[in-house]
Amino acid sequence: MKILGIETSCDETSAAVVESNGRNFVVQSNVVSSQIKIHAKYGGVVPEVAARIHVEAILPVLEKALGPGGMEKIDAIAVAAGPGLITSLLVGNETAKILSWFLKKPLVAINHMEAHIYANWLINKKINFPALCLVVSGGHTELVLMSGHGKYKVIGETRDDAAGECFDKTAKILGLSYPGGPAIAAEAARLKIKDLRFKIELPRPMINTPDFDFSFSGLKTAVLYAARDLKNKFKMEEIIPAMAHEIQEAIVDVLITKTMRAAKKYKVKTVMLAGGVSANKRLRERFAAAMEKELPGADWNIPDFQFCTDNAAMVAAAGYFHAAKKDFTPWQKLKVDPNWEL
Amino acid sequence: MKKVFKNEKETLAFAEKFAKTFRGGEVVALIGELGAGKTVFARGIALGLGIKERVQSPTFLLMKIYNVRPSTGSGHKIKNLVHVDAYRLNDAAGLVDIGFLEWFGRPDTVTVIEWADKVEKLLRGKKVIKIKMELGKKEEERIIEVISK
Repeated sequence: MKILGIETSCDETSAAVVESNGRNFVVQSNVVSSQIKIHAKYGGVVPEVAARIHVEAILPVLEKALGPGGMEKIDAIAVAAGPGLITSLLVGNETAKILSWFLKKPLVAINHMEAHIYANWLINKKINFPALCLVVSGGHTELVLMSGHGKYKVIGETRDDAAGECFDKTAKILGLSYPGGPAIAAEAARLKIKDLRFKIELPRPMINTPDFDFSFSGLKTAVLYAARDLKNKFKMEEIIPAMAHEIQEAIVDVLITKTMRAAKKYKVKTVMLAGGVSANKRLRERFAAAMEKELPGADWNIPDFQFCTDNAAMVAAAGYFHAAKKDFTPWQKLKVDPNWEL
Repeated sequence: MKKVFKNEKETLAFAEKFAKTFRGGEVVALIGELGAGKTVFARGIALGLGIKERVQSPTFLLMKIYNVRPSTGSGHKIKNLVHVDAYRLNDAAGLVDIGFLEWFGRPDTVTVIEWADKVEKLLRGKKVIKIKMELGKKEEERIIEVISK
């Protein structure tokens, strides 16, 4: 079955064609047009501008993803219908409706977070249930337990800020660029030897609580105070690499500890990462190491870098499993939901 | 009114008690830097309105809507809490574009806006409860000023 995926939830306009028989996934095309740089120019998100850029990008992106004559060969259309920014979501969803009507192809509405989880299926490693997925992005931090395809239970989530948001906001406090995750990671990598003149110790919020929830707001405040104190004695550029390193370690420590504990408690067969923050190299390394050491009997998966950030191939992968069950939404009934919870 | 709150628990309790006086239509404008406790205050308001759902930071999605089920004897008819975060926005136009005016000032809705100073144009001349939040001397201490118009 050939699925056309469409993704416009946030800053990326993307279309992809993925073919699958349920065991093997072949990404025939995955075209992504990003508007992050444009937003950086405005210094914030302008929903109207975001929508306009999606409108400009969607047809060329679709054409490139489908290729000549590709439109007739697809079996179903999958579109991310939320969560996201309403003005951005609308572009992808209206496009999907028109294509569904015009081509007479069935339509699947996909939850954007579900799509992130299904990026794991694009690696073509067998995934056994029950499976646990740590979903980390700018807007979400959740531990999702899957008992089967489409069967989700959120067993833990952030009580305040998402991990990606914590990267963004602490980067802002340090005067680094947006998005904060890559900026913090790059600064952390510059730390070669520990500067013995100062010691930065940030909290690992909720790391020892018996539940599987997270909290990153306190970490942000701790960074604010630490930066304020150190700024009086040292130059900002002297403390940034050490600070960035400690921020990254604190976030990763909490994420890994809670994920391992949840995986053991629920005796899962597979543990996965998903979402934009799963592109963080330190998180990937620590996750792989922790799995090998603490859960050698379980399988683990990390999506390829290109499928961690927003893309339509992951939407198509999730779409395959819905289409296989004929879980379609008639185009007349497709509605975006900016607050859609998994 | 201007007061010092020793920790997050005190800030939360104050916001919760404050929200219990709401009757619907209130617009709460939260102003303060990163880490000042704006989301904590919003969470307190949600608690005061009896919302059981988890109130997470709306920074990424810009606006989150929660259902309020008025308990008998609460004396109000509030049905929605709209939690807005203008942190990533440039100006008020962005909020209008995502449908904010459908909620703004509705008698069955309480609106809480974080980083309200960024969308000041939209609030000008409207009845707004302005809350200024500052970091205190000690790590968890916050100074909160309530300016009702």
